[in-house]
Amino acid sequence: MPEATTPEVSEDQPPELAGRCALISGANQGAGLAIAHAFVRAGASVVMTGHHLESGEAAAREVAAAGGPAMFVLADHGSDADWMAAVAATEQAYGGLDILVANAGVYAMARTADLSLLDFRDVCRTNLKGPFLGLKHATAAIRRGGAGGSIIMMGSVVANIGAVDHLHYIASKSGMAMLAKAAALELGPENIRVNTIHPGFIDTEAAARFSPERAVATPLGRAVRPEEIAAAALFLASDRSIFMTGAEIVVDGGWTAR
Amino acid sequence: MSRALSRRVVIVTGATRGIGRATAVRLAADGARVVATGRDAIAGEETVRLIDEADGSCVFASHDVTVEADWERVMDIAKDLGGLYGLVNNAGMFMIRPIADTTEEDFDAMVAVNVEGAFLGIKHAFRAFETDKRAGVIVNVSSLMGLVGFAEATAYCATKGAITGMTRAAALDGAAMDPKVRVNTLHPGVIWTEMITSQFGDSDALAAAFAADTPLRMVGRPEHMADAVAFLISDESSFMTGAELTVDGGRGAD
Repeated sequence: MPEATTPEVSEDQPPELAGRCALISGANQGAGLAIAHAFVRAGASVVMTGHHLESGEAAAREVAAAGGPAMFVLADHGSDADWMAAVAATEQAYGGLDILVANAGVYAMARTADLSLLDFRDVCRTNLKGPFLGLKHATAAIRRGGAGGSIIMMGSVVANIGAVDHLHYIASKSGMAMLAKAAALELGPENIRVNTIHPGFIDTEAAARFSPERAVATPLGRAVRPEEIAAAALFLASDRSIFMTGAEIVVDGGWTAR
Repeated sequence: MSRALSRRVVIVTGATRGIGRATAVRLAADGARVVATGRDAIAGEETVRLIDEADGSCVFASHDVTVEADWERVMDIAKDLGGLYGLVNNAGMFMIRPIADTTEEDFDAMVAVNVEGAFLGIKHAFRAFETDKRAGVIVNVSSLMGLVGFAEATAYCATKGAITGMTRAAALDGAAMDPKVRVNTLHPGVIWTEMITSQFGDSDALAAAFAADTPLRMVGRPEHMADAVAFLISDESSFMTGAELTVDGGRGAD
């Protein structure tokens, strides 16, 4: 088992994810894309999944151009077959899988009394079942490698606090957070770590809803930058977090502490 | 008989056995008009008989919580009885299974009953409360495993975590309604019911082992849960919403 290392940049030492292979879902844009960049800079090979071919391939080209290796795999993140295929593609391309970032998710809001079962099911399919399927197939691949690994779930601040008109989104994210804890207990003996990142409002096009009022209500006074989520993901992927499992890292500028 | 819930209409799902049946019996003893629901009509009628014997008020409604049309029918029954006051989202499905052996179908089935079922209950109860302009109460039965992880119960923990979070969301939705609706969770520890015995076996030795593993050194009974639900449904908890009531003999603190 490797010793925990500090993130010092040294000419003599290989980068901290050197030789590791990561699968990052929902990496077309935003936090997922930032995570792919961060992992590649840290020496990892990355497979990026998304449900949009053109933007996904463009994102993978961008990451590869910045130092790769990176490839894109088209995936429906609620599909068992697609998760299996994405894991297989990672093993085939890079010889194994050490890290999963289950980042893909959909954001949704609706008035609870008007929320349709289909909309509810759709959100839970991508945000709750998807991470479970990813975890299941990634675990199988990490086991084949025999050296342990790190699984990172992308939760949300609302996994731990409520919000009006977000019943389905919150159900999916709080379910995911418990999923990660249960999996951490089951997989701990095999040195497969499972942790969750809870971002606050992320500063991307997808979260253009970040209003001035929310900025004021956030102790740090602004939205979270995708690079800041990527920094937390790199920490959890690396050996710096080697004794962490079943944990939650909140990256929300202080929102939850209010 | 206590009249704490005098003539108020309360739906209890999964009231055909275990925690649901004990809760139906308890709420009826507190004066509620109970709509006991479930898929097993014979067991449901036994719940009705137990309540009748104690001079309580209860009707059984055949109900699959995953079917929205069933919820609409159950809500109509509550309306005919005078209008819905309380909902106990109790129906649930338990599964101990390693991650590798948990199929997509297993996961879907767990989510359908434990998460979608609870959602449909909240949605239709909210609609009824809005229509009737009634300050209603909802209790969602989560689990200790909706607060802490448990190995080889990943799918179950995921669904119970979803209920825990959904309750906070619904509590804020309900607090914004006029009149206000309260929504809380109950988190049972290991409770000696068919849900447990069907997975782990039914023996005095096992019950004793669970008791020995619980700080209060006793076996959790459905009646303990019924007492807690009765509190959350009653006006005694009128300042509680979005709260988590853990009733586990101390297991979660250990």
